Amino acid sequence: MKAIIDCNSFYCSCERLYRPDLWNQPVVVLSNNDGCIIARSDEAKTIGLSMAAPYYQQRDLIAKNKVAVFSSNYHLYGDLSMRVMDTLRTILPPQCVEVYSVDEAFLDLSHLPPSSFHPFAAALRQTVEMWTGIKVSVGVAPTKVLAKMANRLAKKNKAASDCVWVLDHPEHIEEALSQFDVGDLWGIGRRYADKLRDQFGITTAHQLKQMPEAWARKHLGGVVGVRMIRELNGTPSIPLKDPLEQKKMIATTRMFGKPVYRLEELREAVASFVSRAAEKLRRQGCAASHLDVFVVTNGQAGEQYRYDPRADHRYLQMPRASSLTHELIGYAMPLVDDLFRDGQKYLKAGVTLSMIVPDSEVQQNLFTPQQNVKGKALMEAVDNLNFSMRGDVVKYVSSGLTRNWKMRQEMRSQRFTTRWEELFEIK
Amino acid sequence: MDGEVFYGAAYKGSKQFRQQEVRTADATGFGAAADDYAERGIDLNEQLVRNKPATFFMRVRGDAMIGAGIHDGDVVIVDRSIKASSGKVIIATLNGEMLIRRFEKGFNKIRLIPDTSKLAPIEVDPYADFSVWGVVTYVIHAV
Repeated sequence: MKAIIDCNSFYCSCERLYRPDLWNQPVVVLSNNDGCIIARSDEAKTIGLSMAAPYYQQRDLIAKNKVAVFSSNYHLYGDLSMRVMDTLRTILPPQCVEVYSVDEAFLDLSHLPPSSFHPFAAALRQTVEMWTGIKVSVGVAPTKVLAKMANRLAKKNKAASDCVWVLDHPEHIEEALSQFDVGDLWGIGRRYADKLRDQFGITTAHQLKQMPEAWARKHLGGVVGVRMIRELNGTPSIPLKDPLEQKKMIATTRMFGKPVYRLEELREAVASFVSRAAEKLRRQGCAASHLDVFVVTNGQAGEQYRYDPRADHRYLQMPRASSLTHELIGYAMPLVDDLFRDGQKYLKAGVTLSMIVPDSEVQQNLFTPQQNVKGKALMEAVDNLNFSMRGDVVKYVSSGLTRNWKMRQEMRSQRFTTRWEELFEIK
Repeated sequence: MDGEVFYGAAYKGSKQFRQQEVRTADATGFGAAADDYAERGIDLNEQLVRNKPATFFMRVRGDAMIGAGIHDGDVVIVDRSIKASSGKVIIATLNGEMLIRRFEKGFNKIRLIPDTSKLAPIEVDPYADFSVWGVVTYVIHAV
């Protein structure tokens, strides 16, 4: 049996932890730069606030309903996410927990006796909430796809389910499948849902379940589709993933707090994104040999953003994989110079590192000097300082000192769990 | 999450103890007799943080609990995984507010008691929005 545990409106739950006055009030969290809504509490959904819509368009509705608005506070969310996952790893053997995203984890419950799924899931939900203050929903079923469905049912019927839904009898699974919209299945996007409905008349998960595997291979994305059919039929086909899998691509992209017009500022921004990406690269003990830089500009009148791959994107294959910030910045700067056009209004930039290999396996190139040992020692010292001091206390001057382009976060709560100077004050 | 190290709930300290960290073990002459007795040094985390994912820190403002040795500006360590029982100092939520008080559970009434003569005990109305946020386990006070 598999389970998925999913935090209820995770970012909003985090913001509510220290704010009992908001426990039954509408809460929303905005994206980087306070651009649009990325998380809504149930109350905010009821009011009709919509996801991913620009914040400024919904200001009236927000003011009228006294909705609490927060800028995203990733320091807080990251810490609380780690606490939720740690709690799960305390209750279950660590290898039975797959962290799927910041607020979701798949669990392997095969070792539990069949009669205990419901009490176990209920206890899990209660313990996570007690220890971390984060409310979660648990769906339990024979496969990941079915567990996802159970989780959705738990969330839809919170009052009846108490946020726990177990599908362990074949009749219950059948019944749930026949009432479940095929487009709500994990892994079926809107495009597939439209295709299934228009071309094959499939609207429920139950109809999809009865399709033969050969059909799925042809019309539902090959192997992925076959797995979907098997999972729907109760045969586990998507195993728990190894948590230590290394990322194959590392990207750092940000909207600017205010538009950037000058080359120096664009260089600074890109240099700082390279620093961040390189840090993530070193954290997983890897080096990258492919570097992409892109920018997004303000388009013509009426067009908010413009990205033209030919004009706004440059990449470079480095002679040897590297994880040294200064080397990577060195490669990135000429790309920025090449991208920059005078008079453009830049809104966003990003850096992607790919062709990632473990640091120990870096292919040496005859024509470039050996990766220097000093550089690595320097990186380790910089990372240690920045990690222990919690912030960029040591940074490259090329990444800017004033950082005018830095993102806006005007309504951010305190970093209660990661900074001594921002602890919650209790009276 | 980017392959970070997750600690188990019982925090085993900030460093793993390894043979390589005992300097005298590498001594080129005679090994010191103390090698056989080498152990990890005292780590405050083991004592103060019993259950890491459930432990939170807060800064105290005011004198509500001064009689209990909790002063203005002190840091209190709060464990959410401990069940509140009568007599414990807790972080309570009452009608949308967070308070540090002593928890007193009588036959069928709950009271929140400050430890100063300047404030009055609060009798918790059965219909009030009340909950226990966490139990205070330690206070860090600068001398």
